[in-house]
Amino acid sequence: MSLQFGEILLPGISGILSTRSAMRRSFFAVLILAGIFAAVFVSWASGSQLSYGYNLNGQPVTSLATPGTEAVVLFFAATDCPICNRYIPEIQGLEAKYGPQHVVIWYVYPNVGTTSATVRQHEADYGAEKNVLLDPHHRLVDLTHAIITPEAAILVPESSGAEPFRVVYAGRIDNRYIHLGEQRPRPTQFDLERAIVDVLQHHTVQHADGPPVGCGIIGQ
Amino acid sequence: MVRGNAGRLFTVLLGTAALIIVSTQVSRPRVRAATEPVTFSKQIAPIFYGHCSSCHHPGGAGPFSLLTYADARRWGSVIENVTQSRFMPPWLPAPGYGDFADDRRLPDEDLRLIKEWVKEGMPEGDIADAPNPPVYTSDWVLGPPDLILKVTSPTVIPASGTDRFINFILPVPITRTRYIRAMEIKPGAPRVVHHCNVIIDRTASMRREHPKDWQKGIPGMEFTFDSGDSFDPDSHFLFWKPDTPALVEPKGMPWRLDPGNDLVLNTHFKPTGKPETVQATVGLYFSDKPPVAHPMLLQLEHDAALDIPAGDSHFVITDQLTLPVAVDVLGVYPHAHYLGKRLEGWAILPNGEKKWLILIPDWDIDRQSVYRYQSPIFLPKGSVLHMRYLYDNSSNNIRNPNSPPIRVRAGNRSVDEMGHLWLMVLPRPLPNSTEDPRLLLERAWMQNRLRKNPADQTALYNLASVDMAEKDYAAAQALYRRILTSAPDDTRSLTALGSALDRAGDWQQADDEYQKALAVDTTYADARFDLAKLDYEHNNYPQAEEDYRRLIAENPRDAAAHNGLGAVLMATNQTTEAQHEFEAAIALNPDSFDALYNLATIEAGNKNLSHAAELLQHALSEKDDADAHQLLGNIYAQSGRFADALQQFKDIQNLRPKDPIPRREIGQLYELMGQSADAIRELNGALALDPQNADDWNNLGVIEARAGDTAAARKDFEHALALDPNHSAARANLARL
Repeated sequence: MSLQFGEILLPGISGILSTRSAMRRSFFAVLILAGIFAAVFVSWASGSQLSYGYNLNGQPVTSLATPGTEAVVLFFAATDCPICNRYIPEIQGLEAKYGPQHVVIWYVYPNVGTTSATVRQHEADYGAEKNVLLDPHHRLVDLTHAIITPEAAILVPESSGAEPFRVVYAGRIDNRYIHLGEQRPRPTQFDLERAIVDVLQHHTVQHADGPPVGCGIIGQ
Repeated sequence: MVRGNAGRLFTVLLGTAALIIVSTQVSRPRVRAATEPVTFSKQIAPIFYGHCSSCHHPGGAGPFSLLTYADARRWGSVIENVTQSRFMPPWLPAPGYGDFADDRRLPDEDLRLIKEWVKEGMPEGDIADAPNPPVYTSDWVLGPPDLILKVTSPTVIPASGTDRFINFILPVPITRTRYIRAMEIKPGAPRVVHHCNVIIDRTASMRREHPKDWQKGIPGMEFTFDSGDSFDPDSHFLFWKPDTPALVEPKGMPWRLDPGNDLVLNTHFKPTGKPETVQATVGLYFSDKPPVAHPMLLQLEHDAALDIPAGDSHFVITDQLTLPVAVDVLGVYPHAHYLGKRLEGWAILPNGEKKWLILIPDWDIDRQSVYRYQSPIFLPKGSVLHMRYLYDNSSNNIRNPNSPPIRVRAGNRSVDEMGHLWLMVLPRPLPNSTEDPRLLLERAWMQNRLRKNPADQTALYNLASVDMAEKDYAAAQALYRRILTSAPDDTRSLTALGSALDRAGDWQQADDEYQKALAVDTTYADARFDLAKLDYEHNNYPQAEEDYRRLIAENPRDAAAHNGLGAVLMATNQTTEAQHEFEAAIALNPDSFDALYNLATIEAGNKNLSHAAELLQHALSEKDDADAHQLLGNIYAQSGRFADALQQFKDIQNLRPKDPIPRREIGQLYELMGQSADAIRELNGALALDPQNADDWNNLGVIEARAGDTAAARKDFEHALALDPNHSAARANLARL
């Protein structure tokens, strides 16, 4: 079964989660682009017992935002993916730049088999991450249709400072990588940052015109 | 003790390379039943172990390991992707356009097996069928090196940003010339180091130009180095990349390192996402024998034509060079930056045959490499080397570093462009000539550069160096003057012009040129040295002494200046002080021929004959020199070692076959040894070369008289007296007959 954009996704529905099989997906599957995410609503009620994933202490994460949050950025990462690791400074830069503007960034580790210990070791190498979440059941993966690490999504609270969210962006961080083995010396289009700015300025979010490139998300 | 200045500038090509995979060949079964599934154990592990794991192992340069089934399964789909696109293993040359050693291109059958394996769900199979994974250690691959060098201070490569090109300078603490048969590099942080081009800086010129910051590394893709005092084309490709930690030279072709040389590691780094601390270590393995073959690097290029309009997707440069001698091509190194697309190199033989040297259909600076041929490619004299490079400066070239595209010219920044085709060639000896064929190659190369750019200062200078080596000082002077027309304050050319004038006999004018160089830069050591030498040779000892002392004050480790000062002190009868200076020179450079010889003359004068002989034997192991043979022969003769002395004079005779002196001395030695017939033969030989020498006639008469041939002796004494009526010995001898 493959997911279609525009579906209402309910966390915990096993039929959706079991469809994940990123290892067999093409790396170059072009995401459906502009305009579609506005229709994707997340219906998690505030205070629900359902979780988005787990923090590094193994506790469920039930909230991604605090009151006043303008946008939640999910950065899908894998500790062993070299392309993903090259983007960590870029994400850290965005966090420093837009954190004061009430943008919250979560590092989401979706690969089955990734453990708290693996992530902690990775943090020791690449720097501590403020908001970290393991997504072994691919709830956020399915919500955003992420297939690659690194890949990003932007969630916007439906009502001020509270969940549920609308997914307004999903895709690459920038256009540095064209595909595996082909990359620009430096990016010319900073898709994720542009989308964050669009959100903060209440503009229509522009989407990337190319797919994310990296390592496939590992499913069950 | 001459330290001339007819040096040779050498543009060194540097750049980039990237890579993740390898190729030690592991034999593997390729045959399987049609219905048998492809498994990791049977078909895939041998491919990965043979082509991938030398980089992809824990601690290796690859971003992940591929030694276990779990590793392979984790990365299977990525591997399928990058092998089908031939991004991995990194190998740019098109098949069929040059037969290269260590070809890393995967066979089509391997690609098909990988694809099928991934499609079938990446089965492991029976692990008992898998070969043992290779074992990698952090030890030196070739065992403990003879000399280990380490970059002075660690450098932190930032977590992000564009690629970095940094030149690390490694002074080489050797006191005598060494020949390097192999070199191994441990980059420190393998995953951040893409490749490294190692350059021998013969004169430590880069360190000199960056006296304050050389220890932290000098940024830049490409530099020009000062290659020193004389025509010195000895050059090798020293290109290191992660899958080849040890660079082993072909038998008989070790490369040379002299005292005072630096190694420069031009290193390409790719940020990994976290700060990486690098501090490379280099292991050198010495050869106990000097090279018997001397390769040389040749370059085709046309940087002057690189002026690529923004948006031009089909910009072409070409170059060609006619070989004045036959060569064997050992390797090739194509180089461009980010706009290069299609790189071609070939040769047209005199019979019209076209021989491809390399074709890279889709250039990628990140995967550049030196390519060595499986077997040398022979190109006869008159073959024409060609290069044709195509550039894409449009926005469709995703590697274009400029967005939007801008006009691009040649330069050594990554946003500039280059078009070089380097060849490592081994020239064949010239028929019926002892001339170094590399001089002809150098001349052809530099003339080709001047054809493209008449103002090319490096070419003018190097061409002058060839003229100097061929003793055509007038031609060299004309070239140096051409440089000085546009660069009148170029101290190097002023000094070189002085040297050319001096060698042509115009020492007063030479003096003027050295003075001009010192007026521009009072600390320019080469000019001051040559000036001191000139003053010494023309008996202006106070001035020579002052200049040598100043050189030593500015650089106490200047062995040649110590030797020069010693010579001045010796000439002014300050023998003890002179001896100290020669000893200081030898302490700094134990293989200094001049200092060894000069100290030997003092020791011989002090009757320390055995020490003098030792010094001369060492000196002669560095240079076959008639004066040193002469002095050593005299010392042996004084010590009663006539046979050893005889050998020294025979060596002189080989060096100076038309010189009567060694024959005379050989004759006298034979007489001392009681071999009158030999003595008479040699003296007759000396007289054939110098029939007007009355002493020789007299001596010949003495030997003949002793041998009982009174008639012949009489004639000889009379001959001597006819030449010199006042020759008292001949007259007395004649009277005694």
